[in-house]
Amino acid sequence: MKTLIIEKIEPKKIGELVSVGKILGGEIDILALGEGPIPGTYGRAFQCPDIIGANLVGSVAELVQKNGYQAVLLSATTLGSELAGRLGARLGAPVLSEVIAVGPDMTVKRPLYGGKAVAEFKIAANPAVLTIRRKYFEPATLDGQTAPEIIRIADPAVELLSEEPVLTQGVRLEDAEIIVSGGRGMGGSDNFSVLREMAGLLHAAVGASRGAVDEGWAPQTMQVGQTGNIVAPGVYFAVGISGASQHLAGIANAKCVVAVNKDEEANIFKRARFGVVCDYKNFVPALIQAIREEQ
Amino acid sequence: MHIAALAKVVPDYEVPAGDFELAGNRAHSRYTRMIGLYDENAVETGIQLKEKYGAVLSIISYGSSADVPILRKAIAMGADDLSIVQGDSDDPFVIAANLKMAIEQMNDIDLVLAGQQSADLDRGVVHAILAEMLGCTFLAQISEIESGNGAWTVRQNHENGSRMLRLSGRAVFSITSSPQNVPRIPAVRAIMAAKKKPVGKLQGIETPPMQAGEVKVEIPKMESVCEFLSLDDLGQTAKTLLGKLREERYL
Ligand SMILES: Cc1cc2nc3c(=O)[nH]c(=O)nc-3n(C[C@H](O)[C@H](O)[C@H](O)COP(=O)(O)OP(=O)(O)OC[C@H]3O[C@@H](n4cnc5c(N)ncnc54)[C@H](O)[C@@H]3O)c2cc1C
Ligand SMILES: Nc1ncnc2c1ncn2[C@@H]1O[C@H](COP(=O)(O)O)[C@@H](O)[C@H]1O
Repeated sequence: MKTLIIEKIEPKKIGELVSVGKILGGEIDILALGEGPIPGTYGRAFQCPDIIGANLVGSVAELVQKNGYQAVLLSATTLGSELAGRLGARLGAPVLSEVIAVGPDMTVKRPLYGGKAVAEFKIAANPAVLTIRRKYFEPATLDGQTAPEIIRIADPAVELLSEEPVLTQGVRLEDAEIIVSGGRGMGGSDNFSVLREMAGLLHAAVGASRGAVDEGWAPQTMQVGQTGNIVAPGVYFAVGISGASQHLAGIANAKCVVAVNKDEEANIFKRARFGVVCDYKNFVPALIQAIREEQ
Repeated sequence: MHIAALAKVVPDYEVPAGDFELAGNRAHSRYTRMIGLYDENAVETGIQLKEKYGAVLSIISYGSSADVPILRKAIAMGADDLSIVQGDSDDPFVIAANLKMAIEQMNDIDLVLAGQQSADLDRGVVHAILAEMLGCTFLAQISEIESGNGAWTVRQNHENGSRMLRLSGRAVFSITSSPQNVPRIPAVRAIMAAKKKPVGKLQGIETPPMQAGEVKVEIPKMESVCEFLSLDDLGQTAKTLLGKLREERYL
């Protein structure tokens, strides 16, 4: 299998894709997007400063055809979703998104119905375009660096006007070993301050459900779930979160879930290891107090 | 300005995992059917553009004509008309080709809005394939759209924040959810009026599916082992919880 990885220069994301490439076997090349040195050793490396997926379709399709790649791997992110379908249509290639397992025989698994079911596919043609769900493959260690051949986009259709990063204070969700997440049950944006206080004491990151993000109580970068961040912490505190399957899909690889919810029937308790059935307004301050006493 | 919003009818996406059942490779037919959540965000975005720019908003769906009563919700929300392309394929290339046919028949579509992903197959692929088939640009995860000077200026959400982008010409956008596009709840009068609206019905076309066969679909096992902590004294409950998390080496 000759594989092309396409990813921004972010070692963890690239590492996960390299791990998938290794399962498929054979040569792995990379098209790295953005500026800076490319971590890892590849057959060939290409680099393009443009990071807007829509501008890359033509060049990537050409690259795939010219070099005879049999698999194109992207992460299941905004970039991956912007490129995968168009590449598939341009190349006449099967496209499978949000992949959570692959086999060397080109069988792949992906979730359906918010993770309530998992489908297995057998890919019968190449090239195939796959987007890989984050946190399902241990990132490979990227030794060395590879000097790239530079690709420039001649006539970009989409102009980048500005980037507005959301700067996270404290621990990033992606790296967090402990996450404290709030849902619609928090009742308001100000109430997230108790979660931030608790997270600060535990060196944890703060997350949110789509319910809370839709209410405008937390930025979308904090959303945990199948269409937000896929996370894999040691402990995940779910506070005022009902436990919809699409939320649980984002914490499938969390080791221990602690649920605080005033409804004992809430679905989150089906996923939780420990459950506290009460108003978070009573319990979270008690928990903060207990953490302080321990320190 | 003529905008098309794509809407797919799906089985109730709020059914909890414990109650979920398959019939063959798909959700059991007993579940209530509804418009996908992100597709409702797309419809809402379309209505807001209609209100802002005086656009015409057409809803297009590929599926069974039995789902027409469910799709009428989009009319009740504020869309102008509804067309259904009749077919039963789940293949993203087949669906995209059928949606393309309906869009091209309308002749004057300037913008296609899709949901970020369907709420049953959770794919996020059909809209991008459609864009390529239409020969136009596709942008993912769009949360705000403005039109001016012959160009679209949009906000695209991504993992680290968002960015503003500009492009001209016909485009397909996948719409993500934001506090600004929470789907409106239609008024009873609008629901009644929507029932009377004529619906365009198109016969689906046959076209080759992608070369990746679905081998099987299974429900993953979820073991429930929740230990509910005593609530007699919350201070003690908190201490017990911390103790247990440390004992099991989670903290
Ligand atoms: C295609 C698709 C993708 C989706 N992707 C995501 C995703 O990535 N992430 C995500 O989170 N959701 C996602 N969703 C939405 C998901 O289905 C749910 O709607 C959402 O997770 C609900 O958020 P919530 O649990 O905060 O809100 P609710 O379901 O409203 O639950 C609030 C909970 O808070 C509890 N509560 C209320 N007050 C208190 C209190 N004082 N103390 C303690 N508990 C209290 C209630 O008992 C309730 O259980 C997606 C849906 C679809 C269809
Ligand atoms: N059968 C369909 N009818 C109308 N729109 C669809 C259909 N299937 C997919 N779409 C649109 O394409 C988006 C992405 O679909 P998917 O690739 O299945 O996740 C959906 O959110 C819809 O907006």
